[in-house]
Amino acid sequence: MTKTKRTHPLGLLDHLAKSVKNWWPLLLIILAQNQSWWGKLLIPAAILIFVIWPLISWWSISYRITPTALEFHSGILVRHHEHIPYARIQTVQRKQWFYLAPFHLEEVSVETASHEDGKPEVRLAAVTPDVAALIDRYRQAANAIPTDNSTATSAEPVATPPVQATYALTSRSKWQFILTSTGFIPILLVALGIYGKLPHDLIERLGSDLAHFSVLLLIGGALVIALGAWLFTAVMLLIRYYRFRATRTNDQIQVAKGLFQRNTITVPLQRIQAIRFKQTIFRQWIAIQTTQLLLASRAAAEDNNDDLVLLPAVTQQQSYADLHPFVDWTPTTAPDLTALSVTNGRRWLLVRNALLIALVPVAIATWLWPTWNALFDIVLIIAFGQGLFAANNTGGSLVNHHLLVLQTGHWWTRETYLVPLAKIQSVRLRQSIWMKRTHLMHLTVNVRHGNNNQAIALRYLTAQQAESIYDWYRMNAN
Amino acid sequence: MSQIRNPLPNRIKLIWGISAIGSLLVLLIVTGLFWLAQTYWNWAAWLTVTMLVIAIGEPIVETALIPYRYRFTRYMISDTAVEMQAGFIFKKRVAIPIARVQNVTLNAGPLLQWQKLSKVTVATASTTHTIEGLELAIAEQLRDQIMQLAREARHDQN
Repeated sequence: MTKTKRTHPLGLLDHLAKSVKNWWPLLLIILAQNQSWWGKLLIPAAILIFVIWPLISWWSISYRITPTALEFHSGILVRHHEHIPYARIQTVQRKQWFYLAPFHLEEVSVETASHEDGKPEVRLAAVTPDVAALIDRYRQAANAIPTDNSTATSAEPVATPPVQATYALTSRSKWQFILTSTGFIPILLVALGIYGKLPHDLIERLGSDLAHFSVLLLIGGALVIALGAWLFTAVMLLIRYYRFRATRTNDQIQVAKGLFQRNTITVPLQRIQAIRFKQTIFRQWIAIQTTQLLLASRAAAEDNNDDLVLLPAVTQQQSYADLHPFVDWTPTTAPDLTALSVTNGRRWLLVRNALLIALVPVAIATWLWPTWNALFDIVLIIAFGQGLFAANNTGGSLVNHHLLVLQTGHWWTRETYLVPLAKIQSVRLRQSIWMKRTHLMHLTVNVRHGNNNQAIALRYLTAQQAESIYDWYRMNAN
Repeated sequence: MSQIRNPLPNRIKLIWGISAIGSLLVLLIVTGLFWLAQTYWNWAAWLTVTMLVIAIGEPIVETALIPYRYRFTRYMISDTAVEMQAGFIFKKRVAIPIARVQNVTLNAGPLLQWQKLSKVTVATASTTHTIEGLELAIAEQLRDQIMQLAREARHDQN
C-alpha cells in the first residue's frame, strides 16, 4: 500500500457532520426566513458550506503508508504534509460508528508526542481496517529493533502475536463500577442550579393552599433531579464501556469499548508515562478501584481527563496482580507506602489548610444568608473530613531503583501513581519559612499527561522524606 | 534544603533596578491618564490617588526586594542536571535532568543584550523552567551540552 490514497467516500459524512456542527445556526435561519428575499440569498452560501466545502475537504485529504513513515496530506487553501516515522507514534486510535460497521470502515487517528494543537496529527475519517493493521505492523517492527537497521525494514510477514493478557468486565464488577460512578455530581449541581431558579413563581402559581407543601416539593424535586442525573450517567457509562476488553500482545496494549461507536486504542508499553489507581470514597467502601494509563497523547481525552482506562473495576487486593501481566515493570503485590506517609501532628496541618480554604467563603455566605447557617456549617465539616482524608491517604515509597509509587487524596479520591524513573520530567521541593523551623517540605513530581503536565504533589512530608526522593531522582535520572 | 551554589550574575541586579524604573514610568503614565479622566470626565478623585500610591509604592517595594531576590535565586548546572532555586518565604527547588530536556531557549531583551546576559528557558516534555539571567557564555554552553546529548541519540524516551 505505497500508493497515495484517499479515504472512502463515506468519509464525506464525517466532513458533512463537521460543517453542520459549526454552521447549524445558518440552517435554522434559512428555515425561519424561507419567505423573505434575504433568506433565499443565504441558500447559495449554505450549498457552499454544506455541500461543496465537505466535498473539497474530503478530496483534499490523502495518505500513504510507506515502510518508513506514515504520510498525510490535507488542507484546501494551505496544504499540510505530515511525515510521521513509526517510532514516533504514541497512540493509534480506531473508532467505528455503528453506521460504518456494515461497510467494514473505521476512523483512524494517529498521535505523536508533539505539543501542537489539541488534535491528532493524522485523522482518516473512513478507511478499511487493513490501514490500522499495516500501521501497526510497521510500528511494531520499528519499535522492536532499535539497533539493527537491516531487519527493521523487513516487516511484511509477521505471524499474529500471542496474547499475553486479557481483561473483560464481569457483570458484577461492571455494575459496581457503574453504580458507584460520581460522574453525575457535576450534572446534578448544574441541574439543581437551574431548578433553584424555578420554584419561586411556580409555587406562587400553585396558590397559597399549597404553600406549606413547598419545602416538600422542593426536596422531592431535588431528589427526582438527582435520580435523573444518576440514571443518565449510568446509561452513558453502559454505552461507553459496552463490551470492554483490554488485551496485551507483545509490547503493546489494546483497549476496546463502546456500543454505538466502537473505540479501540493501541499503545506501545514503552509510551506509558505512568499508571494510576483511582478510587473515590464510595469505591473505597466496596474496595474496588480503576486502573488508568497516563499517556502523552490525547487519544483518551473522551475517557476521563486523558487517562486511558485499562481496568475499570478491580478489587483492591487484586489491583497489582491483575495489572502485572499487562505492564511488566509493575510490582506483583501492593507495596508498603508508609515511607512517605504523613503522620501524627502533620495530619493536623492538612486539616487546618482545608478548613482555612473553606472558612472565607463560608463566612461570607453565612453573613449574607444567615438563615442557611446550618447548611454552610456542613461545608466546614466536609472540609475537615477532606483534610483528614488527604492526610490519611498520602503515602509512597521507592519500590525499586527505577520505580516510584506515590499516593494522594484529593477531593475524596485516592490516587496511587506508579511512575517509572525514566518518565519523571522534573522534581520540585517547596518549603515555606515556617516549615523550615519544623523541618517539613512539599514534594512535587512532574510527569507528562495528555499534552500537559501532571504534577503529583505530596504535602507536608518531613524534609528527610522529600529530600530522599529528590536526591534519588537527581542522582539516577540520567 | 541545602544551598545551591551559583548566584545569578551580579549585573542582573542592575537590570532589575532599571526594570523597576520602567514600571515606575508606566505606572506614572497610567496615573496621568486617570488624572486626565478625573479633570475631563469627572472620574472619582480617589481612583487617581490610589493609582498614584501604587505607582510610587510598587517600584519602591520592587527595588527594596532586589538584594533578597538576588540572594535567594540560585542555579546549578552539572553534567547530569540543571537545578534552580528561588524564594525565601516560599522556597522552591527543582531538579531537571539533562536527559529529560527537550529544548533550551535563550531569550534576551534589549537590557539583557546590553549586559551580555540571556534568559534561559529549559523545557521538558511537560514542564518549563526559567533562569532569569545567565552569562551568555554559560547559557550557550548549556545549550551545546544539551544539543550534544540529543545528538548521542538515546533511544527515544517519550
